[in-house]
Amino acid sequence: MNAWDELVERCAIRRRRKIGPLSDEAYQELLLAVRADPESFVDTTMERAVLLMARALDAYRASCRDDDLLDDDAYEAERTRRISALHAECVRAREIDESSLDANLMQLLTSEFDPDPLLEGLIGLERDFASDEPPEGDAWDDVFYRPHLRLRAAVARTCLDGARYRMAQSAAASVMDACPTDPLGARHTYALACARLEDERELNAVDARFSRRESAWSHLARTLLLYKLDRMGASTRALRGFDRLCAGGAYALLRPTFVEAYFPDRPDAPACSFEESVLAVREAEPIIADVPDFIPWCQGQEWLVESARRFAESRDLGW
Amino acid sequence: MAHNPQREDYQRLSLRFARELDQGDPVAATRAFASFGRRFAQDRDSLPQTDADRAFHLVVLAADVVDYRLPFATDEQAPGLIQRGKDLLDEAISLDPACHDAIRMRSSSKTPSIDARYRFLADRAEEVRASCEQARDEAVSELEGERRALAASIAMRPYWRWMASLAEEALICGRNRVAAEAAEKLLASDPRDCSDVRFTLAYALAKLEDEEGLADLERRYAEISPLRGADDPWILLSHVALAHKRCDFAGARAWLERLVGLYPGAVGALVRQTELPDGEFARLRVSPYSEDELILAVSEGIVLLQEGNDRAGRGVLGTWVAHEAARMDPAAAREAAGPSRPDSEGVQRP
Repeated sequence: MNAWDELVERCAIRRRRKIGPLSDEAYQELLLAVRADPESFVDTTMERAVLLMARALDAYRASCRDDDLLDDDAYEAERTRRISALHAECVRAREIDESSLDANLMQLLTSEFDPDPLLEGLIGLERDFASDEPPEGDAWDDVFYRPHLRLRAAVARTCLDGARYRMAQSAAASVMDACPTDPLGARHTYALACARLEDERELNAVDARFSRRESAWSHLARTLLLYKLDRMGASTRALRGFDRLCAGGAYALLRPTFVEAYFPDRPDAPACSFEESVLAVREAEPIIADVPDFIPWCQGQEWLVESARRFAESRDLGW
Repeated sequence: MAHNPQREDYQRLSLRFARELDQGDPVAATRAFASFGRRFAQDRDSLPQTDADRAFHLVVLAADVVDYRLPFATDEQAPGLIQRGKDLLDEAISLDPACHDAIRMRSSSKTPSIDARYRFLADRAEEVRASCEQARDEAVSELEGERRALAASIAMRPYWRWMASLAEEALICGRNRVAAEAAEKLLASDPRDCSDVRFTLAYALAKLEDEEGLADLERRYAEISPLRGADDPWILLSHVALAHKRCDFAGARAWLERLVGLYPGAVGALVRQTELPDGEFARLRVSPYSEDELILAVSEGIVLLQEGNDRAGRGVLGTWVAHEAARMDPAAAREAAGPSRPDSEGVQRP
């Protein structure tokens, strides 16, 4: 989530409403002015809440940078501290603007619930905010509606984490339907659910819908699906694809690392990058765990292990 | 129904005995048959039998050792029993290289992983089917009526058990569609489901969140299992899982209450959620509606219970089920959660 961009857009749109019709050029000028100094344009409680969240997210992200230097206990303490700090800011944002769905969502996500209570909270939020009508066209274009889409995408991911795969599919599908360009990557959640449900038809359909745009998720989902269907030749080829086309995919799979929960949505990563591979493996974790011999099978592929080792060496990662 | 190795051993020899008597004098035959029971129990070697019959008898002994004695053995006894089981099975295979039961049971200790075991069973399933069908065609050629049906059933059972093992192994491997397909193949070969593979099928459908498939299976119970409706703990637990997966907590609770109402001691078993080794010969024989039956279903249901990313590591459904069961009967739950004796969980032969 780019909270600053959204704050700028919110402030500019309110201004435009106040001062009446503007030409496109004039509106662009206004946007530039707001972007140069968003804080001076913040006026309503809603905007104050968004501003608070934008700052809190900046502080949170900045505090993540030096983690590599910490030992386990210090890391855990630091992690707890920064999530509590983010949580406290979300509570404050919500006190400023109770109707801020983002603040409500972030307060839940930073509470570190297990999948079931988290899902209950998310569904409760959907109920509380159900009166907001979705806009016409691509819902992502409406900055005021984006929190709903983030919430729905979080529902989909939480369902996946809580072994509710049909629900994950339908929640992800509703995000894809509302915003066909899928900037939130709900298709990734959908693809993983298809893999777990061994639903090849749907996996093919979602691939085709997004013009076979590759990602670490699409390669990993395909590999898992074919493994589960016991089409081992095809599964091996898909694994090779994951290894060759996703940077560090082999390493991410064989040396999974802790990935922090998403606040509030998946961090941006270039398609098929190492960062994306790490995220895809983390999201697929419950599905991988449900196929007990999948990782041993991967470990048995010498070329995969070799590729992971080479990647580790090239990046100075432990092996 | 379930497979009963001792009974099957008896059926094999009595069928063979009866066939041999048919060729002689009917009065002498009646007299001779009266002595069959005693001879089966005390002087087995005096009865006519083939090497396949002898091999099967060794399988029966191995099943007793591995499935019914090993789970209750002490750490000191266990290695001896395991070795005894292996020796019996190896001897069975040397007597009858087509003893599919012995080959199948032996494969579980010979294969290094569950996936390798699955592969072993999957790769040979067709071969085993062909072999059993050939044995069946030979066995029934001169028989009629009940004997013909019994001979056909006995000849096919090793294949049925093979497919039941394959379905269960596929389920454990996370290959739920393969599990469902194996179960359907078995049901096509044995529509009365001597192996109770419909239980495994119910779990595979629940894993696939196939609500229609499960409803359809329930409708088919009338044919598959005319004497017992769809109230076994497998189908009930599948319903609990499906309702829970669609966040229908009231529905899941209602199914769980039904399970707890039907099965004595259910709360304890649902809180403990103990995983037991699967029966090697076949699913262990337990009394319908017994606590043991529920314990088996919960053990096989680990694939449903232990899924998802909850921090307790019991699985999202497992945590919910334990919590709800404890709410229904707090005293039983406290007892179940208390320090357990090593012999407190297990399945007794009925």
